[in-house]
Amino acid sequence: MLKKKECIAMLLAGGQGSRLGILTANMAKPAIPYGGKYRIIDFPLSNCTNSGIDVVGVLTQYQPLELNAYIGSGSPWDLDLAHGGVYVLPPYVKGKQGEWYSGTANAIYQNVAFIEQFNPEYVLILSGDHIYKMNYNAMLRFHIEKGCDVTIAVREVPWEEASRFGIMNTDADNAINEFEEKPAKPKSNKASMGVYIFTWDKLRAYLCDDAQDPKSSNDFGKNIIPNMLRDKQKLYAFDFEGYWKDVGTIESLWEANMDLLNMPMPIDLYDKKWRIYGRNPGVAPHYIAEGAVTRSSLITEGCEVYGRVEHSVLFAGVQVMQGASVIDSVIMPNAIIERGAQVCRAIVAEGAVIGAGAKVGEETGNIAVVGQNVKLAAGTTVKAGEQRAE
Amino acid sequence: MAMKNVMGIIYTGEKDSFLRELTLMRAIAAMPVAGRYRVIDFLVSGLVNSGIKNVGVIMQKNYHSLMDHLGSGKEWDLHGKNDGLYILPPFLTRENVGVYSGSLDALHSNFGYLRRSKQEYVLLCNSLIIFNTNFTDMFEAHEHGGADVTIMYTQNPEMRRPEYGVYFDINKEGLITDVEIDPTHPRYENTCMEVFLLRKELLLELVDRGAAHGYHDLTRDVFQRLIRDAGMRVAGFEYKDVCYRMDSVQSYFKFNMDVIDPKIRHALFNEEHPVYTKVRDELPARYLENAKVINAMVADGCIVDGTVEHCVLFRGVKVAKGAVLKNCVIMQDSVIEEDVHLENCILDKQAIVKRGGKLIGPSSYPIVISKNMTI
Repeated sequence: MLKKKECIAMLLAGGQGSRLGILTANMAKPAIPYGGKYRIIDFPLSNCTNSGIDVVGVLTQYQPLELNAYIGSGSPWDLDLAHGGVYVLPPYVKGKQGEWYSGTANAIYQNVAFIEQFNPEYVLILSGDHIYKMNYNAMLRFHIEKGCDVTIAVREVPWEEASRFGIMNTDADNAINEFEEKPAKPKSNKASMGVYIFTWDKLRAYLCDDAQDPKSSNDFGKNIIPNMLRDKQKLYAFDFEGYWKDVGTIESLWEANMDLLNMPMPIDLYDKKWRIYGRNPGVAPHYIAEGAVTRSSLITEGCEVYGRVEHSVLFAGVQVMQGASVIDSVIMPNAIIERGAQVCRAIVAEGAVIGAGAKVGEETGNIAVVGQNVKLAAGTTVKAGEQRAE
Repeated sequence: MAMKNVMGIIYTGEKDSFLRELTLMRAIAAMPVAGRYRVIDFLVSGLVNSGIKNVGVIMQKNYHSLMDHLGSGKEWDLHGKNDGLYILPPFLTRENVGVYSGSLDALHSNFGYLRRSKQEYVLLCNSLIIFNTNFTDMFEAHEHGGADVTIMYTQNPEMRRPEYGVYFDINKEGLITDVEIDPTHPRYENTCMEVFLLRKELLLELVDRGAAHGYHDLTRDVFQRLIRDAGMRVAGFEYKDVCYRMDSVQSYFKFNMDVIDPKIRHALFNEEHPVYTKVRDELPARYLENAKVINAMVADGCIVDGTVEHCVLFRGVKVAKGAVLKNCVIMQDSVIEEDVHLENCILDKQAIVKRGGKLIGPSSYPIVISKNMTI
């Protein structure tokens, strides 16, 4: 038995994120680079550290190599601890059986033994799909104060969009009396954020029951939460206010990056009391040459800019050569924009090379994408909304 | 790997007064350089990149910021169970007087550490010099050449100083035949890089013998005598790449201005020999609407809305609209308010230049603004 913990976190990082197209061809969604220095998973991991939660199990399944290497010992998030820390949990063979995680609840169910080692009172369930800063400890205090069986973090979405989300209908005290997945006529605009705190004994019982049900899709939203509501368990909504962005699509990933270019930022990443940590590439500060233009942009270590960069986010080690222009775009680590190339409203993935004079994206229309390590020949055109995997 | 059999010792010297107010509160080894580094990062990273696993850092005075920077050695992967980073400040014992009067004193005080270390070779270096190399070639030359001691030197004329430095005469076989220390006009073109490689047993013997004779300095009292009185083969090993000596405000300024140049920068920072340093989790640098940046090196966390020409901006520097900076080194978290005009200035950490301020130094001698000053 390891040292007892009041609350541990389980981070669901196994999803494919298929709506991100070629960006998730070789990596799980939580490993996607974001904001010039981060990856999506930095947000829940940093939130855990800043909230004082120091055991985080990361459940991986789809394309985990990049994510595993990135998490490493957990030291960037101060999660390399003698008592606790970050644990990567892929599916494994148990006795004669062994199977993939069939759903979010099943992934936790298969790791009951992991959780029991810490003998926790509460378990926090997170996903690696969102950009937000949240104090999970405040939510845990709320959960304890109300004596809940489960607390679900919710945020108010515009009414006209409510039918796209999982909506919680609550009473005046925030007790949840109904859960509707994508309702045609929403009765509330409180959308679930996919952040749950369960009292562990309750969750374990429901997971075990769910595992016996052959018809279940082993999913929190579809099975566990509805079952608990059916049994009149105590479910509460915890209101979250502040920036929260699902970066599940190419457009929303691009938008979330563009959001950072506004001052004041909609999500304050300058806040020294709630830093977002990440693994550092360890390269020299960036260089802006004579004749370069850099305006309304975020540019990080190792970049070399000889051309024009406007309203864009450049990750580490990006090179923008003479006469090249990067406008309204996201350029991921070590990509090279050769002489005279034009990149507009595009996402250029890690290590891609945009050949001289090539044209990627257009001033209007959908976001163009150039995939990881793709070498675009000189003069190539990639139209708005097009994805180039080779 | 052969280099596992070598331990590194970095001597952070007694020359801290050379950088005047910049080193009032810190050792030269801890001076911030090139936007996000400290002087010592280059040496520690070079040793680690060469495969050395045991690095001792001898500290003298003002070592708080140096200790704070190096920490457990984690950033350099020097925090393992075997070997790692050893911080060696002066301490008092019966035979040890505390403050070191020279490198020999320092080594003598840390005799126990030297003896206990399991490596057979010692690479001694001095943190005053910034360069980035792999020491494997020097080790191989030492092994094959059969010298008792190998000393690194350079022919870079920029490394020569009147009345300061160590200069070698080297014969055709690459052996050092004469040593000049602090001559008014150096006669030899080979400048000592203050990197010495020798067997640990020999070093222990030399240190013990030297201390017993009341000597203090390894170069002056031991190597110079050994070479002059013959008896020992001391070889030179030429270093041909970029190097800088941090021994005055001007040389500090020049290094930072030079490192902006892509040629110098690529020589000092490359994928084969990365330079590691303590990480500060900062956002990328932000350029606002009015930013105009020409030939500059800018670190993360900066917010630039003014004009910046040929400058090094360290992490978290703010340059407001209308401000004009030319040939400046602006250290961490300094704030340049609106319409300020600065030329040839070094601003130490957290300095503030209020709206409309104007400071123009001569290019030969930059104006230095101390840490936490508001102007």
